[in-house]
Amino acid sequence: MSDPQSPTTPLEPPPRQARMAWWREPLLHFVLLGAVLFAVDHAVNGSADDARVIVVDAAVDQEALKVFREARGREPTADELYGLRRVWLDNEVLYREGLALQMDKGDKAIKDRVIFKALSMINAGIRRPPFDDALLRAWFEQNRIRYDEPARYDFEEAVLDGDASETAANAFAAALNAGAPGDAKAGLRVFKARPHPTIVQSYGPEFADALASLPAGQWRALRHGDGWRVLRLEAATPARAASFEPLRGVVLQDWTDAVMAEQRTAAVRTLAKKYVVRVEGSAP
Amino acid sequence: MKLDFTKSPIALAVVAALGAVAAASAPQSAQANGNGQGKHSGTYLAGDFHNHSTCSDGAVSLQKKVKKSMDRTEATPWGLDWFVQAGHGGTGNRNCTLAEDASLATPAYPLVYAADGTTLQGPQTTWVNTNPSVQPKGNLSGSGATQNMWRWEAIQTYQYPLMEYLAAYRNEPLFLGVESVVAGHEHTSMGVITGQNPAAIYKQKLPTTKGYTPLGNANALAQWQYCFDRGNSDTSRGNTTTQPGNVNTGVGNNWDCAVPGSPNAASADWNIAGAKLNGANGENGHLKTVEAVKWMAAFHGDGSYYVPAHLERAGPFNAAGNNGFNIEHLRNFNNAGPRVAFGFESQPGHGASDRRGEYNLRRNAFGSVRYDSVGGTTYGGTGVYAGQVGGVWDALLGEGRNWWFFASSDWHSRGAFSVDDRRSDNDFWPGEYQRNYTMVRHGRTDKKQVSPQMIVDGLRSGNNWVDSGQLIDRLAFVACAVPPRLADRSGRFVESIGEAAVEALALASAKQNTDIDLRHCATMGEKLEVKPGSDIIVAIAVRDPKGKSYSPYSFPNPSLLQVGITQPLDEPVLDHIDVIGGRVSGYKAPGSADYAGAWPDDWVDMANPQQLRTLASVPAAAKNETAKVIKTFGSKGWRSSHHDREFKTMSFRLRGVQASQYVRLRGTNMPPAVPYETDVAGNPLSDLWTNAGEIQAKTSSAIEFPANSMLRIPCTTSGSNVPDNGTPYTGVGVPKIDGCPNHLPVVNGQRMVAFDVAAWADLWFYSNPIFVEVEGSTGVAGVKSERSSVLATAK
Repeated sequence: MSDPQSPTTPLEPPPRQARMAWWREPLLHFVLLGAVLFAVDHAVNGSADDARVIVVDAAVDQEALKVFREARGREPTADELYGLRRVWLDNEVLYREGLALQMDKGDKAIKDRVIFKALSMINAGIRRPPFDDALLRAWFEQNRIRYDEPARYDFEEAVLDGDASETAANAFAAALNAGAPGDAKAGLRVFKARPHPTIVQSYGPEFADALASLPAGQWRALRHGDGWRVLRLEAATPARAASFEPLRGVVLQDWTDAVMAEQRTAAVRTLAKKYVVRVEGSAP
Repeated sequence: MKLDFTKSPIALAVVAALGAVAAASAPQSAQANGNGQGKHSGTYLAGDFHNHSTCSDGAVSLQKKVKKSMDRTEATPWGLDWFVQAGHGGTGNRNCTLAEDASLATPAYPLVYAADGTTLQGPQTTWVNTNPSVQPKGNLSGSGATQNMWRWEAIQTYQYPLMEYLAAYRNEPLFLGVESVVAGHEHTSMGVITGQNPAAIYKQKLPTTKGYTPLGNANALAQWQYCFDRGNSDTSRGNTTTQPGNVNTGVGNNWDCAVPGSPNAASADWNIAGAKLNGANGENGHLKTVEAVKWMAAFHGDGSYYVPAHLERAGPFNAAGNNGFNIEHLRNFNNAGPRVAFGFESQPGHGASDRRGEYNLRRNAFGSVRYDSVGGTTYGGTGVYAGQVGGVWDALLGEGRNWWFFASSDWHSRGAFSVDDRRSDNDFWPGEYQRNYTMVRHGRTDKKQVSPQMIVDGLRSGNNWVDSGQLIDRLAFVACAVPPRLADRSGRFVESIGEAAVEALALASAKQNTDIDLRHCATMGEKLEVKPGSDIIVAIAVRDPKGKSYSPYSFPNPSLLQVGITQPLDEPVLDHIDVIGGRVSGYKAPGSADYAGAWPDDWVDMANPQQLRTLASVPAAAKNETAKVIKTFGSKGWRSSHHDREFKTMSFRLRGVQASQYVRLRGTNMPPAVPYETDVAGNPLSDLWTNAGEIQAKTSSAIEFPANSMLRIPCTTSGSNVPDNGTPYTGVGVPKIDGCPNHLPVVNGQRMVAFDVAAWADLWFYSNPIFVEVEGSTGVAGVKSERSSVLATAK
C-alpha cells in the first residue's frame, strides 16, 4: 500500500540535502568498500599470489637436459623433455609446499646451509675500508701481544718410570748428570722453542718459573703437582718486542680480517634489529 | 745403540741363534700363540665396518658408498682394502639399492626410472614408490608411500644380492654387517657372515643385463636382525602378512629365535607369536642382548662379531632405558661369547662433528637429569674407555681378556656440505680418516680372494691397529722372550745385539706389511708364554708417510702453532709413541664387588682444562691402576734408516718378568703439553675445547653453554685458496685449501679450531696389546690361533 501523502512525480529539482543523499547509497558503499578491500588484499596478498606462480624457464630445460645426458648418454625426446619438465615442476611444487608447511624448521642441515648462504651474502656486501700505515701501525700497537715474541725455552724431560718421589727424581738427576742416557728409564721427551705462556698453561706458573731459572745443561728434579719430574734446560731465548716494518704484510691481513669480521658482525646485528629477542628463563 | 739396517741379515741370524738356544731351554715355548709355527702368511689390510646408507639414515646409496670408500682416485685417494656395509637395524623406508647417477650404474643394477620412463629414482626413493613398487613383508610399519621395510628383509632380499654382485663386479671384499640398535643399550657394530660371498662369486660369469641372482645369502644376518635387534619389533617370524591385523601367512622364514640352553619360551619375556624375547629396555634388554651373543656363538661361532659402537656416547647404562654400556655389560658379552664379543669401537666415527664423535656433556636425558656421554667428550678422538690410561680397556686387558680396540667412520653425511665436498662438519668417508688395519691371512684353499671369513678371523685375532689421519700407515709390534738362563747371563753388549735383532725383525715385517712368524715372539692379540725371570724384548717399527694425508687443508696445524711448531695439516709428523703396560690379575667373577661399576659422571674438569682427573673416583671394576706409560719414544729415541727415513724403529727390554702383563701402543702428532690437546704426560685431553656444539643444562633442556663458547684454539692462517662455504670443493684438479676454512666458527672476530680441522689437527694411532703370560702367574685368555688349535688337537 502506498503513502497517500507522497508525490508521485517530482516537479522541482531536489534541495541540496536531497542532492547529497546519494553518498548514503548502500550500493555506493558496497562498491567503495569492495575497492578498498581489493586494494588491501592486493597489497597484503599480492606477493603470495606471485609465490604461486612457477616459471619453467630455459634454465630449467638446460639443467634437465644436462641431467638427462649424463644419465642416459643422449638427448631426450620431446616426450622425455616434457616428462623432465613435469618432474622439475613436481619437485618445485613439493619444495614450495614443504616450505609452506615449514618442513625446513628444526632441520639442522637446512639451517646450517641457509646460515652459510646468508653469511656468504653478507660477505659479498662488505668491503675493506681505506687504510694507511699510520692506521695499521696504531692497530699493531693495540694488538702487539699478537706479534711480540714470547720467551722460548728448549728443554728435555727424562721420564721417570713410576716412582715420582723427590728422592727418586734427585737420584735420577744425579745419574743423568753423571752420564746416564736421558732415556735410561721411561724415555726422553724433547721440547723445542716452547713459548713461555704455553709452559705456564700446561705446567703452571711456579713450574714455568722454576724451569726458566734452571742452569742450562744440568739435569734437575722439579716438583710438579703431587710428583717430581727430571728436566734439563737446554736453551732460553728472551722475549722480544716485535717491529712493525717486517710484519706490515701480516698486520695488513690481520687488520683486514678484524675489520671485515667487525663489519660482518655489525651487518648481522643490524639485521637483528628487525627482531624482538625475548630471553626466557630456563625451566627448573 | 746404533743400528744400521744394512746389517739386518746379521741381526736376523742372531735372532735365529737366540731362538735356537731358547727353544732348547724354554719348556713352554710351543704355547707361544701361533708363532713361528705355521701361521698362514698375511697382510694388514685397511677396512671399515660401521657406516650408513639411505636404507637407514645415511645420505647415499650402497653403490655410492662403496665407490667413495673403495676407489683410489684423485677424488677418493683413501680407497680401502675391505669394506662392510652396515646401516642401522630396525626399519627404513628408503631403497638404498637405487643408484644416484650413471657413474654408479652397473649391468645388473642399471639406473631405475619411474613409470614415466624419465624420472630417475635415486636412493631417497621409498620402497613403495620404487618402480616396480615393493611391498614390505612382516608386520605393518608406517603407511602409504613411506611404509617401512624391516631390516631383515632389506638385508635378505635387497642389500645382500647387490653387495654380493658389487663384490664380484669390482672384485673386492665387500660384505654385509649391521649397526644394531641394541636392546638395553645404544648401538653395536655386528655381523654374521655365514652364507655371504661364497668363493664361486668371483669365478662366475656376471650378467650383462638387469638382474642378478646371488650365489650366497645373508639369511643368518637377517635372522639375527629379526631375533635380537631392538629396532625390530616385528613379530612375523620373517614371514609375509596380510592386512589389516598383521595376520601371519606362515609363508617365509618362520624363524625361531631360541638359544640352546636358554629358557627361551619359558622366559616371562618371551613373545610367543614372534618366537623371540621382547627385551624392551634396561636389564631385560641387556639380557636379550646377552642371548643374542650366545646365539651367535652357538650357531655361527666362527662367522660372527659383536663390537659395541661409540659405546660411551649415550652415557652410562640406564636401567629404565636404552643408553650406554658399563664395564659389566662388556664382561657379560665377552663371557657369553668370547670369540664373538671381542672388542669395542671406543674410538667413534663422526670425527668432524661439532661434538667430536657426537659425544657431549649433558647429552642424555635420564628422566629429568641429563648425563654426559661417558667421559663427557672424546679424548683425541677416542672415548674415555680406551683413551684414559688405566680405564675400562685396561681393566678388561688386566683380566687377561681378549678385548680389542677398533674404529670406524660411522659415515652418514657431510653435514652442511655436499657428499662430494672434501670439507665436512659431520662425518668422514670410510677410509678417509679412521682406518682399521687388520691382519688378514690367506686361506688354505683360496689365496686369491679375501673372504669375509678371513676378515672376521683377523678382527677376532686382535692383530689389528687403528690409525687416524694417516699418521702412520705401517706398524709392526713385536715382543720376543729371552729365557731366564740367557737373560741372567747376557751382558749389555749381547743384550743390545738381541734388541737390534728384534728391531730389525720388526722393520722387515713393517716393510712387508705383515707380522712376525717366529718362535718365542708374539705380536698384537697374541700371548707369549714364558718362565718367570724371562726378559721380554719389545720392538716397534712404524712408517710415518711423508705428505700423504688425505686432509684437504695445507695450512699449518693450528694446535701445533700454539707451541711454535709449523707443520702443514696434510703433512702430519709422528711426534712420539708411548708404550702402555699393565698387569694381568685374572677374571672378575660375575656378582663380585669389582665386576660392575659405572664410570663417574661429570668427568671433564672444566676448571682445569690442561689436566685429566685421577682415577680415584672410578670404581674398582672399571679401572686397572697398574696400567701406565712405561716407555716413550720420540725423535731422539727411535732410529731411521738412511735409506728410508719414513720408517722408524725402537725397542726396549722388560727385565725379569715375574707376573703376567700386557703392553700396548699409542702414538700421536701432538707433543706433550700442547694446550687443550695433551697434558704434560702426553695424554690426550678432553676434546671439549674444539667442540663447537652447545651444551644443555644438567636438569633442564635450557642451553647452559651456547654454541662455540668452549672453543679455545685460534685458527689464524689466511690463505689465497679458501672457497666459500657454498662453493663446492671436491679437491679434484685444484690445490688444497691453504687458509682456515670459512665454516670454522668465529668467536670475537677470530676463527677457532673445530669440526674437521680439529680432527685433522689431532691424530692418534692405537695398537692392540701383546700379552705376556708368566708360568705360575695369572692366566691370559690368548687367541685361539691355528697353532693353538693344532696343539689342542694334539693334546
